Amino acid sequence: MKTAALIGNPNVGKTSLFNSLTGSDQYVGNWAGVTVEKKEGFMDDDFKIVDLPGIYAMDAFSEEEKVAKEFLLSKEADLIINIVDASNLERNLYLTMQLMEYKIPMLLVLNMIDSADSKGIKIDYKLLSEKLGMTVVPISASKGIGLAELKVLLAGGDFLSRVNDNDFHMQNELEIYSYINSILSVCVKRNDAKSFSLTDKIDKVVLNKYLAYPVFLGMLWLIFQFTFSWAGQPMAAYLSYLVDDILVPSLRILLSGSSPWFSSLIIDGVIGGVGSVIVFLPVILTLFLGISILEDSGYMARAALIMDKAMRKMGLSGKAFIPLIVGFGCSVPGIMTARTLESEKDRKLTALLVPLMSCNARLPVYALFAAAFFPGNESIAVFSLYIMGILLAFILGMLFKNTLFRKSEEPFLIELPEYKCPELKNLLRHTWDKGKGFLKKAGTLIFAVSVFVWLLSNFSFNGMTDINSSFLAGIGNFISPVFIPLGFASWQNTVSLICGLMAKEVVLGTMGVIYGGNLSSAILSNFTGASAYAFMVFVLLYTPCVSVIATMKKEFGSRMAVFSVTYQLALAWIVSFLVYRIGLFIIK
Amino acid sequence: MSICDLKLGDIAYIHSISGDNKLKKRLMSLGCTEGAEICLKNCAPFGDPLVVTMRGCDFCIRKKDAKNISIK
Repeated sequence: MKTAALIGNPNVGKTSLFNSLTGSDQYVGNWAGVTVEKKEGFMDDDFKIVDLPGIYAMDAFSEEEKVAKEFLLSKEADLIINIVDASNLERNLYLTMQLMEYKIPMLLVLNMIDSADSKGIKIDYKLLSEKLGMTVVPISASKGIGLAELKVLLAGGDFLSRVNDNDFHMQNELEIYSYINSILSVCVKRNDAKSFSLTDKIDKVVLNKYLAYPVFLGMLWLIFQFTFSWAGQPMAAYLSYLVDDILVPSLRILLSGSSPWFSSLIIDGVIGGVGSVIVFLPVILTLFLGISILEDSGYMARAALIMDKAMRKMGLSGKAFIPLIVGFGCSVPGIMTARTLESEKDRKLTALLVPLMSCNARLPVYALFAAAFFPGNESIAVFSLYIMGILLAFILGMLFKNTLFRKSEEPFLIELPEYKCPELKNLLRHTWDKGKGFLKKAGTLIFAVSVFVWLLSNFSFNGMTDINSSFLAGIGNFISPVFIPLGFASWQNTVSLICGLMAKEVVLGTMGVIYGGNLSSAILSNFTGASAYAFMVFVLLYTPCVSVIATMKKEFGSRMAVFSVTYQLALAWIVSFLVYRIGLFIIK
Repeated sequence: MSICDLKLGDIAYIHSISGDNKLKKRLMSLGCTEGAEICLKNCAPFGDPLVVTMRGCDFCIRKKDAKNISIK
């Protein structure tokens, strides 16, 4: 079997080509242990293609460059497929020159020849191939031009590939660029009339002094509306109707013959836990569809540009703004979006701050408490919690920046790609990738935790029992003294918070089961104004739910997950304590 | 004179890059080499970061880093 490494600059259509070559029945696996993905797929069963991250050079500064370099040094690749943007050969060929030093046979694929053509760039492929000493294949991956020829060429192995002749020793960048220019000056003819491109026109509006922020907020508003009002949430509501009103009743009938513990395990444990998480799938899918559109169109780089100044104050670059915004919907996709950031430091710091953005799941808890304790001022009470989350993220960002992540500030250098219309095929693929991961988690981890919590809430050492004498109540009683200084110590509240680790809306569900009856009046007799607000603050800040912890572990490893959990617990306790003590003075 | 001193739309030629080695290496590999043409194309609403065009591509770079690129 042959292995080919697919490598090129970011934004040259690498993934598009990868998908066309490997087809729909590809095997795509995340490689464990690395923070940057490389994907592999197969062409015709006996030709493995490894999709390496997009890089500009082989200098091993960034995580991406390290991954690419290590792979090429491992000698696993029999062939390098170097994909370049035909309309910007000058810069793209720099990487090509560096790749030549690895002495691996190489094939140069010129992508986006259609857009080069429309820009008036005429390339003499034959001459270019002669000058570089390697076969040059002109294609357009998105339009499907030249792909068949490329496949035949790859399968046949019949191409010219210069394996470094010894005279190739370039000392510095200037020399390499001069060499590239000497080749291009004879191979490329460009129509030099500088036209005002569409990208420039859009940027005139999108980066305009007065319009930039309104346009940015408008886009975010559209995505959030799409996710939470128009498409995602309604579908989630429908799914949840299917689970609660169709699936559960029919399961009850189906299981009526089996023993009560079994039907309780299935309905209260498995369906209650996994079901309540699965119904969020449409929200995740729609949110990611919206974000993929922003990414693929090229707007994301502009958003990073205009947010950079504010984000720098907390030690992050402008790009980190997007994950934080996503975090208002749900921390899980927020942390996953942090993947798109340049440096490991930025990814980690962002992931630590994302859970402070109050996610959707916490809203039901606020809604109930605010309505019961602060009638007339509900929206101010809830809004204050959102603001508190943002302020704390800023403060902690600055704190972490000066302590944990005290490395030099990464140079912020991002390319502003040309705008292009996102391809539906790619959008769906990105979106589904995210959805698949989510489903997998729901089927494994959340399933296991659901069953475990069900066991704890239904059993004691004496066998099956009701919740008041279960293990769960025992645990609640054991831990609840911790909450005495915060004003809401009782085993019921403690257990609710523990169960809230499953998902923060479970806090309410658990209270519903434990207190029984009308929840509003139950909490009115169990909390005071000050302790209610302290409780809300605790729900805002304490350890994210298991989905978030699992995502954190998957993306950054156990140590980060443990740290995230501990720092948030400490933060929640301290802030709630302060809020409660101050509240006691104000609300007598 | 650095590229921070340019006005929007101005074109200049790179003289040298100083400061952080990592940044220097990165800029050089993107084609920011001596004599290369660079154009200050745009900037963020509050004037920082800047958008510059080098060898046919737009990049955004913070003023702090851009100060290190001297021009002639």
